Amino acid sequence: MFRLFKYHFRSVIVRWRSTAATVLGLALVIAVFVMVQSLAVGIEKSSANTGDPRNFLIVRQGALAETTSIVTRDQFNILRYLPGVARDASGQPVASADVLVIINLPRKDGSGSANTILRGIGPLGRDLRPQVKLVAGRWFEPGHREVVASQRLAKRFANLQVGGKFHSGGVDLTVVGLFDGDRSAFDSEIWLDADEARSAFDRPDYSSALIRLENDNAATQLKKQLEGEKRLKMKVVREVDYYKEQTRTAGPIRWLGNGLAIVMSIGAIFAAMNTLYASVGARTREIGTLRVLGFRRRSILLGFLLEGAMLAGIAGVLGCLLALPMHGYSTGTLGFETFSEVVFDFQITPALAAKGIVFAIFVGTLGSFLPALRAARLPVISSLKAL
Amino acid sequence: MTIPGFVVKNAFRNKRRAALCVLSVAASLFLLVALLVVLDAFTNPPEDAGSSLRIAVRNKVSLASPLPVRQRPIIEKIPGVEAVTALTFFGGKYKGDENTFFAQFATEPEKLESVFGEAKVPPEQLAAWIANRTSALIGADTAKRYNVKIGDRFPLVGQIYPIDLDLTVVGIYRGTSDDRNVFFHHKYFDELMGDPGSVGMWWVKARSADDVPIIIDKINAAFTNTSAEVLAETERAFQMGFISMWANIKVLIGSICSVVVFALLLVSASTMSMAIRERMRELSVLKALGFRRHELFAFILAESFGLAVVGFVLGPGGAWLLFHSVDASTLTNGLFPVLDVTPRILGLAAVVATTLGIVSSLAPAYAMARLSVVAGLKTLD
Repeated sequence: MFRLFKYHFRSVIVRWRSTAATVLGLALVIAVFVMVQSLAVGIEKSSANTGDPRNFLIVRQGALAETTSIVTRDQFNILRYLPGVARDASGQPVASADVLVIINLPRKDGSGSANTILRGIGPLGRDLRPQVKLVAGRWFEPGHREVVASQRLAKRFANLQVGGKFHSGGVDLTVVGLFDGDRSAFDSEIWLDADEARSAFDRPDYSSALIRLENDNAATQLKKQLEGEKRLKMKVVREVDYYKEQTRTAGPIRWLGNGLAIVMSIGAIFAAMNTLYASVGARTREIGTLRVLGFRRRSILLGFLLEGAMLAGIAGVLGCLLALPMHGYSTGTLGFETFSEVVFDFQITPALAAKGIVFAIFVGTLGSFLPALRAARLPVISSLKAL
Repeated sequence: MTIPGFVVKNAFRNKRRAALCVLSVAASLFLLVALLVVLDAFTNPPEDAGSSLRIAVRNKVSLASPLPVRQRPIIEKIPGVEAVTALTFFGGKYKGDENTFFAQFATEPEKLESVFGEAKVPPEQLAAWIANRTSALIGADTAKRYNVKIGDRFPLVGQIYPIDLDLTVVGIYRGTSDDRNVFFHHKYFDELMGDPGSVGMWWVKARSADDVPIIIDKINAAFTNTSAEVLAETERAFQMGFISMWANIKVLIGSICSVVVFALLLVSASTMSMAIRERMRELSVLKALGFRRHELFAFILAESFGLAVVGFVLGPGGAWLLFHSVDASTLTNGLFPVLDVTPRILGLAAVVATTLGIVSSLAPAYAMARLSVVAGLKTLD
């Protein structure tokens, strides 16, 4: 059996010219599959990479996202002084009431405009989100109409560079710095002072509250307390869990990727069958020889299936390599939960690459089945006589 | 034997190969057409008869910020304005639905007809809708999808707003480019929300198309430096704004299309050359008989071209049949209301198929032209 395998292996190498186009074709199919799926992975990764496990987000019950939630000032004052809320060095409760405003900004390349999230944060809002780091300029000062934008957002929208100005909600806002969100959902946001945001956009209330709790025990307590207090109509979620759920946009992308892969692979299967039939035809005599040497029909069948799988495996690896340059490339689209632009990367993870290769092998095996069957069924004598 | 007969015989001498070749071309062309159709649905929203007369007015901050109701009389007084209606996107979930793709709007029933006139509603249904505060007018597509009839309850769970609606279907409209939307009374919405005094958008109908630019300027100017600055734009511009939000997805689909075309070219070119290589000997015989190179090239071209044409008929033709016979919203689970294989897309696919036919015959034709008769007769393959 090993010898048969060796024969197929060497045959693939010697006849690479006749299969090169088919392998490359299948590689392109896999490249497309991996690339589209890597977008969905990118969205999920950026969601999963957001937040601090010690933090808890409080939003209105039934709100799909922070942007559609309301937390009043009175509610926030009750929340931050609840037992179990962590205190900082000066004894202040570690909590931030945020205001989220969706603003429409022109794109940098002039191709229209899109919604972005403007997040007003409280004085402790930055301490609660240590993964966000300033990379240019300075942080905004409360009391000034200043904002700090995500540097990745700044690459996509006009006037978001340091010193840039944009007009929204009847006020001019100046960009004084850029931050990096460490590939999290914060990369799709612009930050400013919460009270500044409330006054500029005429918002009496906050959207959400982020609090740090002393321990998980306090979280259970708080949950029980808020659920018991029916008038508040608030819900508590661990910050990381909240963001992990924000992946609805990934659904249609996955759907697109799978649909593409299926239709493209049907074409690829036909092409692979064609190539392998031709290959079997050209090797009729060799197959006859193998049979004379004593290899059974099922060994021949298995051998050709393995050959198809091997070629497809090469195509799969090649496809992943073709897609690889896109890894980490930043892109963006409309986020379904926030109704604004989400910035994320193409993420080609080992798991995704493995999926691509397995898919390729599956397609290859499927495509090589009928030709392999034909090879196995060749009559020995007449195949030896073939030219 | 006639020359066309010869070409046809040649093309089908290996029926299995011809069939597989045609099928792989057809699958790829089908995908290309399907992608172009989706791209078209993304970037080219369908236009209604009344589109050119309608103006969308939204908060300048973004669509997510509301507008105060006090703006209405100011807009109504602008000369050339025929009608104004409020439209608030509810964005709820149909009870028990995983993903709800149809849009729901709170609006003013008595104004709807004057602004969105293309919606065809039987007069008694319209009257019933206007009369009943908790009733809903739903699109024919949505009625079909959820199998709801007049008189049925239509519950919507709020996702943006903290309220749930308990609506009753009293009318079904059709005739617009998107017969999926659900409309209900703004008064009912205000009541549940505790009368916030705001609306999502204003939709304005102009008396004539000439008035549209003037009205847009006047509306924009009317609210400058107020707490709710507005952005008025034509319906088309408003739709294009939505498309701009999709950002890089468009580019992505576009580039996938080109990869598909490239992969297609590669695979069928290789099949074609395989078919020719197999009969190098026969071609050499033909050469020896006195056929000229250009004649042999014509044979090869005719054959590959023929295969491409059959692939075109099966692939894009199949796509055309599919999109015409199956309802687009059923096919995409309600994501797209209309998917149309336009003549432009079919034309594009035809161009690709033609190119394919020509390009894939080039390499074998070149090899054949260079081959000497003697060498050709000697080939064993």
